[in-house]
Amino acid sequence: MSNAPVQGGGAGAPLSTKIANLVIAVVLIAVAAAAIASTGDFPKTMLAADVGPARFPIIHASVLIVLCLILIANTLRMPTIADDTPPVGVAGYAGVALGILATAACLYAMEYVGYAVATVVYMAALMWLMGQRSPLWNPVIAVVVTAVIYFTFQSALQVPLPVGSLFE
Amino acid sequence: MHELGMLMNGVATLAANPMALLLSLVGVALGIVIGALPGLTATMGVAILLPFTFGMDPVSGLLMISGVFFGGVYGGSVTAILLKIPGTPAAAATAMDGFELTKKGMAGVALGTATLSSFLGGMASILVLIFLAPVLAGFALEFSASESFALAVFGLSIIASISGKSVVKGLIAGFLGLLIATVGMDPMGGFPRFTGGYTELFNVPFIPVMIGLFAAAEAFKSMEDPKVRLGMAAALGRIIPPWATYKSLLGVVSRSSILGIVIGIIPGAGSDIAAYVAYNEARRFSKTPENYGKGELGGVAACEAGANGCTGGALLTMLTLGIPGDAVTAVMLGALTLQGLQPGPLLFKEHGDLVFTLFAGMIFCYVGMLVLGLGSLRFMGRILQMPKSVLTPVILALCVVGTYAINNSLFDIGIMLAAGVAGYFMQKWDFPASPVVLALIMGPMAEANFRRALSLSGGSYDFLYTRPITAVLLTVAILTMLLPLVKRWRADRAGASGGAAAGPLEASK
Repeated sequence: MSNAPVQGGGAGAPLSTKIANLVIAVVLIAVAAAAIASTGDFPKTMLAADVGPARFPIIHASVLIVLCLILIANTLRMPTIADDTPPVGVAGYAGVALGILATAACLYAMEYVGYAVATVVYMAALMWLMGQRSPLWNPVIAVVVTAVIYFTFQSALQVPLPVGSLFE
Repeated sequence: MHELGMLMNGVATLAANPMALLLSLVGVALGIVIGALPGLTATMGVAILLPFTFGMDPVSGLLMISGVFFGGVYGGSVTAILLKIPGTPAAAATAMDGFELTKKGMAGVALGTATLSSFLGGMASILVLIFLAPVLAGFALEFSASESFALAVFGLSIIASISGKSVVKGLIAGFLGLLIATVGMDPMGGFPRFTGGYTELFNVPFIPVMIGLFAAAEAFKSMEDPKVRLGMAAALGRIIPPWATYKSLLGVVSRSSILGIVIGIIPGAGSDIAAYVAYNEARRFSKTPENYGKGELGGVAACEAGANGCTGGALLTMLTLGIPGDAVTAVMLGALTLQGLQPGPLLFKEHGDLVFTLFAGMIFCYVGMLVLGLGSLRFMGRILQMPKSVLTPVILALCVVGTYAINNSLFDIGIMLAAGVAGYFMQKWDFPASPVVLALIMGPMAEANFRRALSLSGGSYDFLYTRPITAVLLTVAILTMLLPLVKRWRADRAGASGGAAAGPLEASK
């Protein structure tokens, strides 16, 4: 998929890449159009010689739309070729999704239980997710790494890390 | 030479102050660590250390801060090369080729090249600072808003050359970055744009996006198949590059150092811009530009020499004119004032001995950085031997804490996570991340200076072609942007005559 000879046009691309190109282009066109639409609420500039706060976002969004249309046109006319990269598989994507969810959960938990507790659990969970299933070493490594990071940032670099609303 | 005599006196004074030498080494070591940690920049390091220098004598305090500055700029390259975590914005450029070299099993040579190039770039900039400061100080005054706008456009023109396999995808990433860069306060009127009412978005969340796109995205990708380890391919190998190899890079290092010094002199332009511009020029002058982005030592050397070349340039205007070249020197300006020194033309006259002792100390800092850097690389390289199942969680934990440290904000971690997810899918479908980061650096600079220049010229666009530096920079920018497209178009025409068909704007060359 990602190692196809030329992406986005020209020599051809696998079907999955073509679909991805089209989806991404459509999403970006929608984002750019929404950005242009919301510039309508921006106030007019008070300075006669200024272009105002809306000009640059409109230019960037308009060029983005044109480029996405070029990508769509190129993708539609490129031939479909076989995908020669090894497939990631459902398990692979599930691993990535769980990793992302774990990070989001860590972020959410940090607000309540603080940095130290959330990070220890987060690291131990990620190690388990990545195949390291030792009931002894996972918590030990997680605690040691978190303690080193905590000390470095909180004490040495004077960065106050979240304590958590439950412990405040 | 008057300056040489003063420098020798400075060396003698410094030699009699071993505490200052020790503190400068401590500063360099701290700077390397701070630079290597994601989210902590040289600016932050200098700001953190500033209160500790209040009780020190001026030479010790200022050298310790200089050490953090120099070490911080260099330190970002270590994690950028080994783990694709750019510790500093400048290191995002180094990561493009540095991490590819690590994947090829050449991490040691990449780190060694980065260290040597940082040293040479930094030393060159300090020597220019010592011997050419009064001559070059006037150059900074030539730079007004229109020139800064042109410089930002020149920086943005690099997008075409760092687009990877597809120019159109690179441009899409670049313009998406430019659009994201407009999030926050309008630079002229202070009106909040696209913030959705979140005060956290009043400034462009540049560093969280950078950490997410590079480091978190790479960590998520490694979760696809946890069994695949970095393993032998990621062994450190040789550290000091063979002389024959490095000799061929000396041209790149010299050119990049000069670019770094010039960019450093320009107020408002820092090492991040220097690294990208130096990278692009190295690629332009290379006989094998197609290797850039795939693991080219020249790319690493250019970024590091350019970024560290900036240090002396930024100090030059700060010391001679009292104008800080970037955020770090702005903090250093405060440090000088606190020590009872007033930067400006009179500084050299009234405190000449002290200034040249500082210059001697800065040379010592760079030598110390070279020794500490090379000495610690073997130890730092051991992280590559860690099992992936431990290394990836450590990387993600560092991403989280590093992002939080920027503004003490959990909101920033959310942005980093969103950028990480976006970066993962961008990698998957060959949308390069570097143009987004470049656009986030250059976009606000381009807009603010364009609008300032327009206001200064009373609404006339004449400044685009009547000011020589602006006109030259804009012309070079247009050529830089169009050249890859023209090359591709000519290749397509040649291909079409041979029966092959390819679309415009698609490039693998």
